[in-house]
Amino acid sequence: MHHVRSIPPPPAVEMSAATRSFGDFTALRDATLRVEAGTILGIIGPSGAGKTTCVRLMTGGLAATSGTVRVLGEDPQRFRRRTRERLAYMPQQFTMYPDLTARENVSFMASLYGLLWLNRRSRVRKVLEVVDLWDVRDRRAGQLSGGMQRRVELASALVHEPVILFLDEPTAGIDPLLRARLWEELHRRRDAGATLIVTTQYVNEAEECDQVALIAEGRLVALAPPEELRRRAIGGHAIEVETEAPFDPSGLTALPEVLEVRSTGARTFLAMVEDAGSAMPVVVEAVAAHGGAIESAREYRQSFDDVFAALLEQAESSAGADANAA
Amino acid sequence: MTNLQSLSRILAFLGKEFTETLRRPGAVLSLVLGPLLIMVLFGLSFYGYPPPFRTVIVVPPNSGLPTTADSYSKITPDIDVVDVVTDAEAARERLRSRSIDLVIIAPPDLAAQLLAGKQSVLAAEVNISDPIAAANAGYLANIFSGEVNQRIIEEAVRQGLQIAVAKTGEKPTDVPPNVIAAPTRTELQNVAAVKPAVVSFFGPAMLAFVLQHLAVSLVALSVIRERGSGSFELFRVSPVSASEVVLGKVLAFAIICAIVGAITTVGLVAGLGVPLLGDPLLLAIAMGLVIAASLGIGVIIAVISDSERQAVQLSLLVLLASVFFSGFALNLDLFLPVAQPFTYLLPATHGIALAHDLMLFGWTNAPWHFFALFAMAVGLIAVGSLMLSRQIARS
Repeated sequence: MHHVRSIPPPPAVEMSAATRSFGDFTALRDATLRVEAGTILGIIGPSGAGKTTCVRLMTGGLAATSGTVRVLGEDPQRFRRRTRERLAYMPQQFTMYPDLTARENVSFMASLYGLLWLNRRSRVRKVLEVVDLWDVRDRRAGQLSGGMQRRVELASALVHEPVILFLDEPTAGIDPLLRARLWEELHRRRDAGATLIVTTQYVNEAEECDQVALIAEGRLVALAPPEELRRRAIGGHAIEVETEAPFDPSGLTALPEVLEVRSTGARTFLAMVEDAGSAMPVVVEAVAAHGGAIESAREYRQSFDDVFAALLEQAESSAGADANAA
Repeated sequence: MTNLQSLSRILAFLGKEFTETLRRPGAVLSLVLGPLLIMVLFGLSFYGYPPPFRTVIVVPPNSGLPTTADSYSKITPDIDVVDVVTDAEAARERLRSRSIDLVIIAPPDLAAQLLAGKQSVLAAEVNISDPIAAANAGYLANIFSGEVNQRIIEEAVRQGLQIAVAKTGEKPTDVPPNVIAAPTRTELQNVAAVKPAVVSFFGPAMLAFVLQHLAVSLVALSVIRERGSGSFELFRVSPVSASEVVLGKVLAFAIICAIVGAITTVGLVAGLGVPLLGDPLLLAIAMGLVIAASLGIGVIIAVISDSERQAVQLSLLVLLASVFFSGFALNLDLFLPVAQPFTYLLPATHGIALAHDLMLFGWTNAPWHFFALFAMAVGLIAVGSLMLSRQIARS
């Protein structure tokens, strides 16, 4: 009897110690990450951090100076045509044709990906409706607003239903309401099995991603799901407590569940714990035991602005410590 | 399916270029009407012959030569004798101030020299920077000298006959003095099917010339704009190949140039009366090959240019080279034999030769131009495609 051993499919994207330099300047240093199929990886970081370089290494627009990059198991520098048919790339700058209408631009890109006429017509309509541009489909791209132009590009990237989408700041310049709709569409793609690599400067969009890669000054500072990053930023979970009267929370540090207590006001404090769910009743009871009356107690969710600021601070101090040690 | 998809990609580029071109009506209008308008203006304004040289003749006192301008007016229409003077230095001063073009100084002792059996010198002085005009001045001075010689001989014969009649009472010959002085004269007969005319001659040349420039600049600017906008990076990620990009663009611009060429030809023939004696199909093939080879040059220019400005400059350099080396303005026989083969590196050189032959003579005695253009078109497009492919891969 023969056992058929199934070989697991390669990860959608895999980078191993990938570095890209331009002369003396290193845009990305030793980036290692793995993106499983059917997930959204958000690449987040300040402007000039190396996000676009990271994406261009994945699309094959740039070759790694050292290290390896694999997409669907292939070297992006040597993608086969079949593989390229399964990819989509939306660059940061406007690359559409201003003299063509929104529909013509999307249709042109659909043709490049081999969509034949009948199929193309219906797909173009569908994606233009998704990005809310169907009503202006016959307007020239050059006459559209900046946000609309980004949506034309996004529609062009979505039109052939790619397996992996590389989207470089797809929501830049798009109003919050439409941004939410676009994320809904990206989630739908993810749920249908597509892998999405999305760079963004909107830090709070990290919430929309399954994995978040935080890049700063060419270094991959952190790579984890958003919640895990929150945990790392504050060293665990936080419980925000408000009491009816001024309360000194320092006594709570004796509890084994509580890692640290930070007073944020006369009647408010943060209790840092390993796990907010299990620690919450213990903290509430302990406050009462120390003579306090609880007004409210809830898990404290830091904004991602604060999370990333904290992670970047940690990374800087860690780098400083390494430098001192060296 | 793959072939269909490939065709779909090529047609996508074709459609895009067409649509973009048509969306700029001003550009379309200038593409179609521009060459015709230039030809009309050229035909209306170009005289074709240089103006006569404004000439002063210096006749020394007592030389026996005529001293009025009218006496010299019929020597050649290319010399306009504005004055006959005796002071050579005053005439030279007028030459230096460029108020006249030519000074002819007659020898002071013409009769004595002749009787002494010596040749006199008829000095011609010019003040010209244009090498063609300078060569023409030398040619005219020779004609003038020949005419003067002829008149001297004629006068000598007339006087000789009078002396003979006086001495012998008989006329030694009935041949008139002017026939003895010039026993032959030239009568030119042009057997060409078309009477030479400025528009007829330059019209066919302009057709090939304009099509080359149009094809080179259109495709070069299109490719470089595409590269500048970042589209190459999209192409690199997408399944489109460089050869599909080149083929799509070449086809689109070939059709656009062919339409402009057809309209220009109709305008030349029907509007300006330029003859088309040969097979229109052969002319279409010739111009089609000029367009194809020029598109290849355009793609290469786009690849080697680092900006739109440089592409424009290189396109203009090709245009400038064509003005001098394609036979458009200067006859190729005027070049050194060693340089002539290089003039055939320009598609316009072959195109102009074929357009002249097919339109004005009805056939060509140099069918090798077709093969040369075909080889250039295939080679240049292949090289351009290869270079573009590398550039897209690097983008």
